[in-house]
Amino acid sequence: MPAIIECRGVTKIYRQGAVDVPALRGVDLDIETGDFATLSGPSGSGKTTLLSLIGGLDRPTEGDIVLGGQALGALNNAQLADLRLRKIGFVFQTYSLVPVLSAIENVEFILRLLGRPAAEREARAREVLADVGLSGLEQRRPARLSGGQQQRVAVARALAPKPAIVLADEPTANLDSKNAEELIELMARLNAASGITFLIATHDARVIAHSRRRIEMVDGKIVADERAGVTIAA
Amino acid sequence: MGSFGLLAPLAWRNLWRNPRRTWITLAVVGVGVWSILAFDVLLKAWVESSRQEALRLLTGEGQIHAQGYLDDPGVAQRMPAPSGPLLAALNGPVVSAWAPRIRVTAIIQSEYRTRAVTLVGVSPAAERKVSDLPGQILAGRYLASPDEPGLVIGKDLAEKLKTRLGKRVIVMAQAADGHLGEIGLPIIGLFGNTKPAQDEFIFTGLGAAQRFLGAGTDLSEISFDAAPDAGPNNAVAALSRAAPRLDIQSWETLEPLAFTVQSFSQTYVAVWLIVMFVLMAIGIVNTQLMAVFERTREFGLMQALGMRPRLIVVQVVLESALLIALGVGLGVGLMVLTVLPFAGGLDLGPLGESMENYGASSILYPKLDAHDALTVGVVIWLLGVAVTVWPARSAARINPVLAMAAL
Repeated sequence: MPAIIECRGVTKIYRQGAVDVPALRGVDLDIETGDFATLSGPSGSGKTTLLSLIGGLDRPTEGDIVLGGQALGALNNAQLADLRLRKIGFVFQTYSLVPVLSAIENVEFILRLLGRPAAEREARAREVLADVGLSGLEQRRPARLSGGQQQRVAVARALAPKPAIVLADEPTANLDSKNAEELIELMARLNAASGITFLIATHDARVIAHSRRRIEMVDGKIVADERAGVTIAA
Repeated sequence: MGSFGLLAPLAWRNLWRNPRRTWITLAVVGVGVWSILAFDVLLKAWVESSRQEALRLLTGEGQIHAQGYLDDPGVAQRMPAPSGPLLAALNGPVVSAWAPRIRVTAIIQSEYRTRAVTLVGVSPAAERKVSDLPGQILAGRYLASPDEPGLVIGKDLAEKLKTRLGKRVIVMAQAADGHLGEIGLPIIGLFGNTKPAQDEFIFTGLGAAQRFLGAGTDLSEISFDAAPDAGPNNAVAALSRAAPRLDIQSWETLEPLAFTVQSFSQTYVAVWLIVMFVLMAIGIVNTQLMAVFERTREFGLMQALGMRPRLIVVQVVLESALLIALGVGLGVGLMVLTVLPFAGGLDLGPLGESMENYGASSILYPKLDAHDALTVGVVIWLLGVAVTVWPARSAARINPVLAMAAL
């Protein structure tokens, strides 16, 4: 399978006062199209930083990232915003819905930014909400949805524009065991059904157990990369 | 349109996420707009009152004199009764009403006292169209015809002369041939409610005055009102073309104080608008900055999802535009309700006498001008929207990485 993401020598150094704090140290990583991969590791290992760089939310200090054949370093901020809109779906830890919009409006949000016609927007939003098991709750605002339901809406929103990849940052961190398990199974099922690539930063063992590829990071480096028990790199 | 369809309902709902803050901002803008309009309405009512007091007494919206009359207002500086092009212009479309007068400095003498006054010979029917004075009769009556040899004087003057309605008084003035004329006239009416005029002017019939002064059918002045569509300056221009040798002026030069007050009133309103807007702007920017600060995560999320920073700016500005528009509507609505009870006039009570000393009536007629309300509303709205670009740009500068980390 071709790589949807290619990272070469990606380094990120944050400057805190007079001190340089390296978050990533020369990461090389390829994620193949259709993969269901997890980035795991302890806090501060660089998972979220790598996810931010791949998602075009930030720029690396050194190195190159190519997403779907497009070198992110060559894009300006507006082009990065467009790339995020068209090719990437995000699922965050919490509070990732717009509180004044209903479930269906949250899902339609990106489709509206993409300029899709109203009928197409609504049909697609209802379809993905049904996919995540939220039929009948379309008009509810986030405050009237449980944590698990909110994350399902976030997943539906991420999938609605049929992105090339979904980046999820600790999506189960604020869910109870039952909801966490259901969300993981949902994402795995959607990956299998749609072929959309999932890259999930997590230290939840249940999520890691469901992934087909497990990438482990420590101190800004990839220390293990396994696919179905086969070590790819270390 | 696609983005507007997304942002407009979002902006409206965001306004009501914190109703208390929204109502506070609405109150700030509403009261600010109300105070600007209240100042504008009261000032204009006072200015209009001063103007009316000045113009509706004798001046009219313009006057015609012989050259030199205004520098030496004697019977020698007179002009013939209008005829030919001037008469046609006076009866034409730019003039709504006009009244001929003869007007000289005179002495009035009662049995006990003597006072210097201005004797004005008037044509009663014409005078009623350009002056409110015929309607200010407190006792007796106004003149019935131009030839009536009766006298209408101010109530105050009658008291100072220690005379009364029905008594005869002597009026002395220099006649056209230079000799001092003298005539005995009965007081047929007393006028009041026009404080500045009560001591100064006495009125008799135009024909009676012309005969007394030996002026034939000559006049000292013609007072006119311009047609509403034409305006005083256009009327002056048209009359000047018809009678180039006469001195024709609008009220703006004849009553410089009233004109200056009117001219400055717009400046006062503009200054007040600036003062109030600065106070409003502080309130608007403060609340919008707070709103942006509270929604840091949300703006970061929107950017992470692919919303361009420009749209974030539009989003916040749209919220402010809606908020300020509501505030402006509230302020204008409050002003309408404020003015409504005073449609019949606002009696200033004890303040009225002071107002009369400044040339205004003791009763003001506050009216909310739709054009003024619209202008103030639009200016406040535009300025308000402009100042919210700052918090809007702050929202657009939120780093989505930091927001994502915080999520």
